[in-house]
Amino acid sequence: MNRFVAHFAIFSFLAFGSLCGSPAIAKEIDFNRDVRRILSDKCFTCHGPDGEQRQAGLRLDQQISAFAKLESGETAIVPGQPGESELVHRITTDDEFTQMPPPESEKQLTAAEIAILKQWISEGGKYQKHWSFITPTRPKVPTSDRAGFVRNPIDHFILKKLQETKLSPNPQASKETLIRRVKLDLTGLPPTIQEIDAFLQDDSPKAYEKVVDRLLSSPRFGEHMARYWLDAARYGDTHGLHLDNERAIWLYREWVIDAFNNNKPFDEFTIEQLAGDLLPNPTVDQKIATGFNRCNVTTSEGGSIAQEYLVRYAVDRVETTSTVFMGMTMGCAVCHDHKYDPFTMTDFYSMFAYYYSLTEKAMDGNALLPPPTMKVPTPEQQQQMEQYSTQIAALQKDIKEKLLAVEYTDPTPDASQELSREDFVWIEDEVPNGANPQGNTPWEFVSVEKKPVFSGKTASTRTAEGLSQHFFTDAKPLLTIGAEDMLFAYVYLDPENPPKEIMLQFNDGSWNHRAVWGDKNAIDWGELGTASRQYLGELPALGKWTRLDVPIAKVGLKAGSKLNGWAFTQFGGTVYWDKAGLNTITPQAGMQFESLARWDAVQRGLKGEGLPGNIANLIKIEPDKRNAAQQNQLKDYFLEKVYKGSQEIFGPLNTQLAALEKSKNELDQQIPSTLIMQDLKEKRQAYVLMRGEYDKPDENRPVEPNVPAFMPPLPEDAPKNRLSLARWLVSAEHPLTSRVTVNRYWQKFFGTGLVKTAEDFGSQGESPSHPELLDWLAVEFRESGWDIKAMQKLIVMSGAYRQSSVVDPQKYTTDPENRLLARGPRFRLDAEMVRDNALYLSDLLIERVGGKSVKPYQPKGLWNAVGYTNSNTANFTQDHGEALYRRSMYTFWKRTSPPPTMSIFDAPSREACTVRRERTNTPMQALALMNDIQFVEAARRYARRIMTEAGETDREKIVWAFRTATSRMPDEKEIQVIQKLLTTYREKYVQNPDQAQALLSVGESPREESLDVQQQAAWTMIANLILNLDETISKG
Amino acid sequence: MDPILEHKQLMTRRHFFSKSAMNVSVGSAALASMTGPQLTAADTGQPTGGILHAPHFPAKAKRVIYLFMSGAPSQLDLFDHKPKMDEWYDKDLPDSVRQGQRLTTMTSKQKRFPIAPSKFKFQQHGNSGAWVSELLPHTASVADDICFIKSMHTEAINHDPAITYIQTGSQLPGRPSLGSWLSYGLGTMNRDLPDFVVLTATWTGRKSAQALYNRLWGAGFLPSKYQGVALRSQGDPVLYLSNPPGVDPTARRQMLDGLSQLNQKLYAEVGDPEINTRIAQYEMAYRMQTSVPDLTDISNEPKHVLDMYGPEVTKPGTFAASCLLARRMVERDVRFVQIFIRGWDQHGSLPNDISNQCRDVDQGGAALIKDLKERGMLDDTLILWGGEFGRTIYCQGGLSRENYGRDHHPRCFTMWAAGGGIKPGMTYGQTDDFSYNITENPVHIHDLNATILHQLGIDHERLTYRYQGRDFRLTDVHGNIVNDILL
Repeated sequence: MNRFVAHFAIFSFLAFGSLCGSPAIAKEIDFNRDVRRILSDKCFTCHGPDGEQRQAGLRLDQQISAFAKLESGETAIVPGQPGESELVHRITTDDEFTQMPPPESEKQLTAAEIAILKQWISEGGKYQKHWSFITPTRPKVPTSDRAGFVRNPIDHFILKKLQETKLSPNPQASKETLIRRVKLDLTGLPPTIQEIDAFLQDDSPKAYEKVVDRLLSSPRFGEHMARYWLDAARYGDTHGLHLDNERAIWLYREWVIDAFNNNKPFDEFTIEQLAGDLLPNPTVDQKIATGFNRCNVTTSEGGSIAQEYLVRYAVDRVETTSTVFMGMTMGCAVCHDHKYDPFTMTDFYSMFAYYYSLTEKAMDGNALLPPPTMKVPTPEQQQQMEQYSTQIAALQKDIKEKLLAVEYTDPTPDASQELSREDFVWIEDEVPNGANPQGNTPWEFVSVEKKPVFSGKTASTRTAEGLSQHFFTDAKPLLTIGAEDMLFAYVYLDPENPPKEIMLQFNDGSWNHRAVWGDKNAIDWGELGTASRQYLGELPALGKWTRLDVPIAKVGLKAGSKLNGWAFTQFGGTVYWDKAGLNTITPQAGMQFESLARWDAVQRGLKGEGLPGNIANLIKIEPDKRNAAQQNQLKDYFLEKVYKGSQEIFGPLNTQLAALEKSKNELDQQIPSTLIMQDLKEKRQAYVLMRGEYDKPDENRPVEPNVPAFMPPLPEDAPKNRLSLARWLVSAEHPLTSRVTVNRYWQKFFGTGLVKTAEDFGSQGESPSHPELLDWLAVEFRESGWDIKAMQKLIVMSGAYRQSSVVDPQKYTTDPENRLLARGPRFRLDAEMVRDNALYLSDLLIERVGGKSVKPYQPKGLWNAVGYTNSNTANFTQDHGEALYRRSMYTFWKRTSPPPTMSIFDAPSREACTVRRERTNTPMQALALMNDIQFVEAARRYARRIMTEAGETDREKIVWAFRTATSRMPDEKEIQVIQKLLTTYREKYVQNPDQAQALLSVGESPREESLDVQQQAAWTMIANLILNLDETISKG
Repeated sequence: MDPILEHKQLMTRRHFFSKSAMNVSVGSAALASMTGPQLTAADTGQPTGGILHAPHFPAKAKRVIYLFMSGAPSQLDLFDHKPKMDEWYDKDLPDSVRQGQRLTTMTSKQKRFPIAPSKFKFQQHGNSGAWVSELLPHTASVADDICFIKSMHTEAINHDPAITYIQTGSQLPGRPSLGSWLSYGLGTMNRDLPDFVVLTATWTGRKSAQALYNRLWGAGFLPSKYQGVALRSQGDPVLYLSNPPGVDPTARRQMLDGLSQLNQKLYAEVGDPEINTRIAQYEMAYRMQTSVPDLTDISNEPKHVLDMYGPEVTKPGTFAASCLLARRMVERDVRFVQIFIRGWDQHGSLPNDISNQCRDVDQGGAALIKDLKERGMLDDTLILWGGEFGRTIYCQGGLSRENYGRDHHPRCFTMWAAGGGIKPGMTYGQTDDFSYNITENPVHIHDLNATILHQLGIDHERLTYRYQGRDFRLTDVHGNIVNDILL
């Protein structure tokens, strides 16, 4: 036996010998407590639920099969008769050919295990359902008492077990320790000295309860609770796969915080997240809640096969839902019937079917908001939107009425009349429709009052030292060029400050079409003498408007070319540009006409390009096939938008309308949206997938949405949708949801759950340390109306929770993991708490609930080192101001490169559901706490507090600083250590003022200029020391 | 050492603190000697902290350097010489070869699948006669030290799932990476540096490069202390390594001495062994503040060594510089070093981009072999080279003799291994004339991972971690050791 195994055996004997039933005790065997684990570990691989792997037709997880006659004629278990039982023969024989488990399987039974199996069979071989699949009932609270320990029913259960192991509980922790522990546990932040003092002074029997009630009603409570839930929900601010672009689902995070703060009962909390969209008349909040199952990672990688990902997403949702609510992954049953638990593939794919018919696309499009999504305006935004709508409606009404008044006779009803060559103005007072204006500096329009303007209301202008330009791209409709057309623009050169050279440049997909005037080479783009830089003459006369004409052939354009962009470029000087366009006979979208018939004909030629969809559709109908209503609609459009004669009336109205629509659109863009769930109208048929492969549906095994067959069934009339699933999870009969949930709460307070494997309540998971207590809490939780705050309060009010965490060697040896709770919990704060604690102590923390994610300090280059080059999260841009000091739960979570100080302190990547964090202790953590800018800045600001808020003397300051961080008074020795260091640092920084200045410049928050630099530097080092104390980053 | 025994010893040491007046001048040296066996066990040269305590069988390799070519290099233009393809230029890939296998949606809608023969010249090299293309002259010069595996294969056909698969054994995020399994199993061999280090090198091939993901060196569901530590070429080489401005090493040492005293005192009163561990971790952090700069300072490397790695070796962040750092790390008993270089995803303009990319990696990779060999370390250092899948013989996009692109191809690709108990001068596995299907000795990525673990003394079926009710392992439920390539 190697050393590791030996240790493990000792540990498990000491820790659980009495918990799980020592083999040495000859009391009656309990199947769940004593036998199941042995069979599950050593036998189920070949004799368990998985039909494909089953050997000899023997199934040991079910009594009926184990007691039945086998193919061989033998019987594995003959109740009461170990001698007749083939199982006993097989596990005791020395014959390597019949011995079980087979020698090569390395699953040999120990002598103790063999004894248990024998005793179990001789006592009748009674089977029980796995404990966690039996609906919990409220057990009787044991009667045990111990003055000063028992505070509520929890303690009777704890005490009973302690007495069985001859351990006694610790005395209650000091009040200082207690308030620190409970405030950290309920809000994630440490108590202030004022809070500690108030508690110390309050001698009333309700003093502690008052603190608990106050903390439970703090908004920090909801944030702290939400943080754990977001691990389970795999919340992130990016898609998680491939490009890992940003995703906007932070409104869901806000919903979770609010739910905890409002103490939403856990059953509603569950139903809304799994199926809020399916509730009758769902509220906005209920739909936001469904973001829970839109938090999974998604891809849009080029080349991916959509079907493969639709399957993966549904699998992820089943695994997450089952882990979070049932403490079961079911993941094994993707490929085969579960080996240890009674999940079949059919069970898995029945759950899968709930999530297989969503409207989401397999490819997320790398979009911020891959549908289905929902807009969530604030009340102010909602009001403003409504106001815009009213104004728009009024204008539209006005236009309609004015249209009725227009009398129109077509001057040339014969549509075949030729167009004459004329100027089509493309650019006047603004860039064309839809275009995206850009430039070295933004476009600047000047109006006629101050500057030269040739036509319309404004001209664009630019003053430059050297090469400079403004331009646009993406105009729609495009400008269509005809044979022998001429591009034109009007220009005015400032006689006081003329440019060296000017250039017009056109984009038909490429910018390689340039015409220049003046110096031929000041602007050196393209090749002189070709279409890429065509010289068209001297600079025009200064101080007057001149028309520049560009024959299309000169710049490499030809009939049929279509422009989407145009650039005005200059080298030096001040230049004004005004209306520009194309001299052409080619019809253009957006042209004005006198004749309706002619416009109609032209538009038909253009196939309605540039027209609104409904008008374009009408245009495409041959005139003689349109009905009167259609013809009238066209005529109204013509009169309003196209007819030259009415533009004086409608032009300004339309401009006003466009401005309103633009404002409304811009506001609409600002309204936050979030990802939600939505089912397809026609659901996809789900099948069992052979070996879990997306492209191998077993056509013979279609499945309908359903819950696992071995669990309590759905009500008969339940619709086959997620709402039924959610209601089933929180039904009174459900054996798992309440147990799994209270276990996670227990884990939060004590570091380890009553079931250590919080993510696995199946037969491979650990048995509960206190099964009756777990059931009692589960029933209590359910019967309280799933009252989350009440459950938190119940636990923190217990004597078990209030114990001192000091551990003596005997207790440590007996129970190193503190599963029996003969002492209070003590462990390091979680990642977010470590950072929030430092921000809080240094008075930097911004206490505001909710909002978008923020990007505080992080070392340069982390995203860039891994990010796909075209990802919108390939480059990290740090925020400033308040964003640097928000609680860590608001830090932007890029899942392929999570915030480094979070990962270093064991935060999961949020790529998959996590319900239990490991807690490690590493040098990387030490480096981060000592040197990360965030923690050094916190030390600097903490020093400021020490110097301004504490007393006058060093001693007073040291005591204040130590106490604020650790919640207790330092003793003499501790004060001495710190005082000596302070003296050392004072000497150092007095001698090295530059170093003092350097240290105080870390971080973006301002320095208190009135404080002495060297003194503050010395105190900053003391603060750095204190922020690094084990005690500062632990709850004790 | 037995953790309970250790705890008892430490608890008796508490007397020293609680009974005697605490001497504030207790220095770091004294503290270091008091913080116990956990700290100093690594001095004996034996690995500490691994779950296995002893390997399953004698290890052939003590360390691994894994040169990961992210984006998937074309086996057809580097190693898998297919002279017959010349006649097949621009002819369609026969259906009999493709056998209806799935393609990515980038080319599955192409009307034709025209054959694109490699434009690069191939030659046989060394006594072993291994075929290597003209793009990799340095690698060719050490062909006799290398085992080329031409029959690698995988199921994933897109980058994210494929690279996650080869690194963690699963196409989906959430599992521990190869390096973190090694740390978990074997512990650490040194007391001054992390055990598993990752470098991401700069590249000059295709600018638009596939992403990497922290999960590729993440610990998945294992405790996070097993995750790879990035050694960076920008800013601090290890995150938060440098003291802040205005804090010199003396000031830091003084702060740490004070911290140790206060934490030690707390431990004496509270008895939580985690406090003790924390003291040790701060001491290791302090040592790293010296050992990491010492590691990354290459000013003492002789010229002939620098020359071996090529002119880029002095440019921080290049592949050559990363290779030299990898050698310096394995010399210091860092167990697992992985260098990722991106830019191999050459769907178009492959000849141009792959030439640049090969210039990036060729000399540094070959130099590692030579350098370690000269130092007598190649025998117990395993070097691996390869990407997440291969590329297609048929062209993606426009095809000419001189220019072409290739789509993803999971059905066969080439990797190479050297040192660490792998047979040198060997080519293993065969593909058909089209480098489309494997015809001999297929090696699945699980097989490769099983073999890597095997060389380090680990039975891949027995290094497991129970999570969510299942005993997980790197190779899932697969993996066969490729015994044919082992010495």
